[in-house]
Amino acid sequence: MMLHYILMALSALLSISVVYLAIVERDLIKAAIFSAVQSALYAFLYYLLMAPDIFLTYIPVGVGLYTALILILIKKTERYEGE
Amino acid sequence: MEVEPFLFNIVVLSLFVNIAMSLYGVFVRPSLIKKIISLTIFSDTINTLVIVVGFRHAIPNPIPPVVIEIPPPPQYLRQFVLQAVDPLPQALVLTAIVIGLAVLLFLMFTTLQIYRIYGTTDVRKISRLRG
Repeated sequence: MMLHYILMALSALLSISVVYLAIVERDLIKAAIFSAVQSALYAFLYYLLMAPDIFLTYIPVGVGLYTALILILIKKTERYEGE
Repeated sequence: MEVEPFLFNIVVLSLFVNIAMSLYGVFVRPSLIKKIISLTIFSDTINTLVIVVGFRHAIPNPIPPVVIEIPPPPQYLRQFVLQAVDPLPQALVLTAIVIGLAVLLFLMFTTLQIYRIYGTTDVRKISRLRG
C-alpha cells in the first residue's frame, strides 16, 4: 500500500517538470509532445487513484486525440512561437 | 510518523503548482496554440483535483467502485462501503473529458480561421491590426 503513495507522489512531481517544459518551450511541436507525456503521467495517477474507467478513457483522448489535433493545427499554421 | 498523508499532500500541492503554471501559460504566452496547450493542461489538472476529492485512505487498501458479486451478500456490501472510493466525481470527470474535447475542437477551428484571415497566431500582432 505504501508503494501506491510513493508512485503517486513520483508521477505528480514528474508532471511538474514536464508541465514547466511544455509551457516554456518555444518549439510548439516539442510543447505538444511534452503535453502528451503530462497526459500519460496523469493517466497513471488516475489508475493509482482507483479510477480505472477514467484511465481507460483518458489514454486515447489525452495522449492520442489531443496531441493529434494540436499537431494538425501546428501543421496548418506556424511552428515557432514569438517570431 | 505518518508517511502516507505526507506523500498524498505532495500530490495535491504539485497539482496546485501545475494550475499556477498553466494559468501563466494561458495569460502571458503570446501564441494562440500555446494558449490552447496550456488550457488543456489546466482542464486536466482540474479533473485530477476532482478525482482526488473522491479518493480516500482505507485500511488495508481502497478498491475501485465496482460490485463484483451479484446479488451482493450483506457482509460483502459492508466491506465494499468501508473500502471503495467515491464513484460520483469519476462520473463527473468522464463527462468533463468529452466536453473538453469539444471545446478544444472549437478553439482549434477559431485559431485556424484567425490564421487564414490575418496570417498570424500571435496575439500581440492581432491586437495591433486595424479593421
